[in-house]
Amino acid sequence: MERSFAREVEKLKLGDGELFEGEGILAITKALLQSGVSYVGGYQGAPVSHLIDVMADARSILDDMGIHFEACPNEAAAAAMCAASINYPMRGAVVWKSTVGTNVASDALSNLASAGVKGGTLIILGEDYGEGASIIQERSHAFAMKSQMWLMDPRPHHPTMVRLTEQAFELSEASGTPVMMEFRIRACHVHGRFRTSDNKRPAISRNDLLSEPDFDYERICLPPSTYTQEQDKVKRRFPAAVDLVRDHKLNEIFAGASDDVGIVMQGGLYNSVIRALQQLGLADAFGRTDIPLYVLNVTYPLVPDEVAGFCAGKRAVLVVEEGQPAFLEDALHALLRKADLNTTLVGKDVLPMAGEYTAEVLLNGLVAFLEGAVPDGIELAPLGAEVARIARIKAEAAELLGAPMPKRPPGFCTGCPERPVFSAIKLLERDMGRIHVAADIGCHTFSTLAPFNIGNSVLGYGLGLASSTAVGPAFDKRVISIMGDGGFWHNGLTSGVTSAVFNKNDSILLIMNNGYTSATGQQYIPSTGKNFANEPTGQDIEHALRGVGVKWLKTITTYRVGEMKKALKEAMTTKLPGLKVIIAESECQLARQRRIKPLIRKQLAAGKRVVRTRFGVDENVCTGDHACIRLSGCPSLTVKPSSDPLRRDPVAHVDQSCVGCGLCGEVADAAVLCPSFYRAEIVQNPGLGDRLLAAVRRRVIGWLTPKSPNAAQAS
Amino acid sequence: MTRPVAILIAALGGEGGGVLTDWLVEAATAEGLPVQKTSIPGVAQRTGATTYYVEIYPDRDAPLDDGAPVLGLYPSPGGIDLMVASELVEAGRAMEMGFVTPDRTTLVASSHRIYAIGEKTALGDGLIDHSRIVRAAGTLAKRPILSDFAALAREQGTVINAVILGAIAEADILPVGAERLEAAIRAGGVAVEASLRGFNAGRASVRGEGPKATAAPARPRALSASGLEAQLQAEFPAACHAILGEGLRRVIDFQDPAYGALYLDRMQRILAQEQTLGTAGGEFPLTRETGRYLALWMAYQDVIRVADQKSRPDRLTAVRAEVGAKADEPVRISEFLKPGIEEIVSVLPAGLGRTVRRWAARSERARQLHFTMRLRTDSISGYLRLRLLAGLRGWRRRSLRFEEEQAGIGRWLELIERAGRIGPDFAMQVAELARLIKGYGDTHERGRANFELLIGGIVEPALTGQGPTDPARALADGIAAALADDKGTALHQALETTGEASGDGSRRNVA
Repeated sequence: MERSFAREVEKLKLGDGELFEGEGILAITKALLQSGVSYVGGYQGAPVSHLIDVMADARSILDDMGIHFEACPNEAAAAAMCAASINYPMRGAVVWKSTVGTNVASDALSNLASAGVKGGTLIILGEDYGEGASIIQERSHAFAMKSQMWLMDPRPHHPTMVRLTEQAFELSEASGTPVMMEFRIRACHVHGRFRTSDNKRPAISRNDLLSEPDFDYERICLPPSTYTQEQDKVKRRFPAAVDLVRDHKLNEIFAGASDDVGIVMQGGLYNSVIRALQQLGLADAFGRTDIPLYVLNVTYPLVPDEVAGFCAGKRAVLVVEEGQPAFLEDALHALLRKADLNTTLVGKDVLPMAGEYTAEVLLNGLVAFLEGAVPDGIELAPLGAEVARIARIKAEAAELLGAPMPKRPPGFCTGCPERPVFSAIKLLERDMGRIHVAADIGCHTFSTLAPFNIGNSVLGYGLGLASSTAVGPAFDKRVISIMGDGGFWHNGLTSGVTSAVFNKNDSILLIMNNGYTSATGQQYIPSTGKNFANEPTGQDIEHALRGVGVKWLKTITTYRVGEMKKALKEAMTTKLPGLKVIIAESECQLARQRRIKPLIRKQLAAGKRVVRTRFGVDENVCTGDHACIRLSGCPSLTVKPSSDPLRRDPVAHVDQSCVGCGLCGEVADAAVLCPSFYRAEIVQNPGLGDRLLAAVRRRVIGWLTPKSPNAAQAS
Repeated sequence: MTRPVAILIAALGGEGGGVLTDWLVEAATAEGLPVQKTSIPGVAQRTGATTYYVEIYPDRDAPLDDGAPVLGLYPSPGGIDLMVASELVEAGRAMEMGFVTPDRTTLVASSHRIYAIGEKTALGDGLIDHSRIVRAAGTLAKRPILSDFAALAREQGTVINAVILGAIAEADILPVGAERLEAAIRAGGVAVEASLRGFNAGRASVRGEGPKATAAPARPRALSASGLEAQLQAEFPAACHAILGEGLRRVIDFQDPAYGALYLDRMQRILAQEQTLGTAGGEFPLTRETGRYLALWMAYQDVIRVADQKSRPDRLTAVRAEVGAKADEPVRISEFLKPGIEEIVSVLPAGLGRTVRRWAARSERARQLHFTMRLRTDSISGYLRLRLLAGLRGWRRRSLRFEEEQAGIGRWLELIERAGRIGPDFAMQVAELARLIKGYGDTHERGRANFELLIGGIVEPALTGQGPTDPARALADGIAAALADDKGTALHQALETTGEASGDGSRRNVA
């Protein structure tokens, strides 16, 4: 795994009244233990990977309490775990990245929500929306509404997040309904503190076993139970939820002097609203505000009388709701209409319909709202001035800088084993023309960015091969699909490979086997060879492929660009019909470096002979075309201004971060690029033999080196 | 009203931005101050740009739990007290987004560049003008602290985050003192000694102490008072001495003094023409730029040249320095040479070369034929092979490539002269055209092909009065298009546009 969580694990042991300091997502993890969960599971993905990682490292605590932890192969499996809570009063929590993970889980979620739960069931969603998000931009809110699950969006404040996590289980049990709780990226990573309480042992667990299974046809998703379940949702569960949210004050109201207006917001946006108010001089550092605030820590369901109570007597209320569609705003309109209140509701007309609500976006929206609402006792002129000041600063900066700053998208790491595969595809395209590539989710999605720009579609995790099935037959040459080892086990084996063999699809699949789900932090997967508990698993991709009937199969080391190109070309041109699979194999370089660096340090310190490999460019041989960079994009392969006064263009340059993976040489060779690359192997702690040989060579080469005037005037 | 101190840190993956943030939080916590941090790592931690945001409430009496200040999760434009950028363009980006303002922002930024992918993949020079960022920082920041912290980190054998923390400590803007920050490094417990060295170096650099960067711009070498260099000095204007001197030395180094004399002869004709054109200010740009590209073209990169460059006396020293080998560590050097038919043909005598090329043209396999040579320059046999190849220098004058390059050069110089009759700007652009000829193998072929396309599409028509109305501009655009992508997409578009424009022009002439 990317890092060890030993220090974080210690925090999970804290007891009554002790002080926890750390990341938001770890505070939630602690809150789960304080809530008496029987099981925890999930699938990794930013921004909630740490919950899984810490649980995996916290085996001793979990075992001690009898809690079952499951590293699930995908989100559907994680959601299905919650079945334990349908029949038995077992509390449990699962976690994943939303909305992509929720999409994968939705079959299980619908069935879970329909059957209803006896034990409190919490689904923690890393709501990956806005700046820095790595997925399609959608909201989880619709899932809550369509399946009648409750959605919480807690205010990013450690004590509040922990309290609401604990209350989420009560809400779930009181209403017999699973609860979803969303955390935005910044809330997951926010550092804060709270006073802990003792961890609670679950009543039913691996330590306290069940013996009698419960059978209740009412819980089965078949008619007529399904009809009863739907009625139950409406008649019993929904009102029970509304009552608990109201009675336990899950939502928060902060009073303010200017009570002819107010702001309703998703809990997650509270800090940003306060900051905008502070910037306008309408709130102090401690959140004491001039304008009344209604903080929805529960965004579904809404509490009609609470809404009406807040809005009554106000001329205008602003709804701060991030993303689209405007579910909350529409719902609030309906509630006001039903309550016969004529308070003006303002929302997406002053705030953007789509996109993240950053500090600046909120400031602008808030000022527009206040300028329209004209609240009592608030001077409007300074508000507009602040907005104008910021616009002026940015305009001045743009003018001074002259041009937009170059973009810096993420890309493959230095020495990444996946990069050479795309170099090979680029070279293959030189021979065969452009090829349609059905790309997939994973680090390899970076192939769609510069300098490769390879990949014509990305349809979802593990769906690379499945997304090629209709387009493949429409092409004059075979199409290539890509899948990572993570995607392969997530669902690619069934939805892609098994189906392609079954349907006799004539296409090519490239599986990137780097040993881990690397984009999410190098978590173990079946083909890693061992599980979270470091037990050997004996699973591998090749056997799985053979098992489902793949006949044409090659395994190639990714760094061998020439071999990879040859294998791809063979797969493209062979007369053999059916699926052709190439496993592109090499360990994730991040993981590898983390593994070998300490070993090398130890060897060096012990005076052992270690050969370090690095690549370099002869500056005077390089002519500055940068074709090598267009075929590689390695962060350590960069440019520098030429020191040759005659040359205008910067020359290629390998910086000190080079890990000597060998791609530069392979590409220079396979692409017949240019002779400026060299590989240097530095012999550290050389032995006597090394030193003698070097001395002899130096001496003889010295004799052979010309001292002619021409050569002396080296350019 | 007391307000939180807002700190925004922009860093690149692997620079320890997260650790830097942790140090700040640790120091503020030790000081008893409310503090909050958050970040957007996600996939940006791989290689992209990423930000960390910290707020510290500067009042030790403020409650930490119940009733604690509400700190923000987002940086606000116009609301940043300390902007940290681990690289210059990231500082520029912060300014672009309004995070650096004269009323409150101290900007601590490293002035070195890590080039963005778009800058690196350009076919020519894609680097942005970094001096504008430095100037903008001077105007927009309340206090700009710019220095090459990356170089300092390298010198101290540490990571840039420690050096930057030192600079922050010395900037004296946080409600925590330098000793607290130093203690935070110690508390972190990882690579403490190296980090403290970096921390102290960062502090010293802001105080203006410590070694100053002394890398003065490279001065052109003075011309010798004898031989061809003396002739150059006597016959050419001073504005051209630096470039032409460099060019003269280059072509002699490539071949022999007679080749140097040819260089000067060729330049004489260009100079004579520029003198008749009478360019302003005695700068002689046409002579200077033609001299630059002529030298590069005359000293073209063939296998003889590459073998020579890779077996120079100073090369091993340069490689050792580049890869950071210690004095007692042997270095093994492998070269990646892969000559093909064209490289072999180019060193054959003209007649034989043409025969072989005709033969190769008939066979796809021959065209694809390449000989992989993994030479070990540090081994005696490998080095010897390079020296033998380099020793073919005397033979070069009889080679097919030499003959072809001289013909190409002659034609280009003639085009410059003829273009001069249309206007000095046009002649300059024709000279500049030679910039396209570079590289090896396919790259070289593509450059030559683009060169020919622009001559056929713009230069020749212009010389016969059929071309675009502003041929200098059209050619400049054409060169830019040729360097825009390696598929030729932009170039073909540019040529089509020019073709249409001049087509209209000729029709008008007819009418």
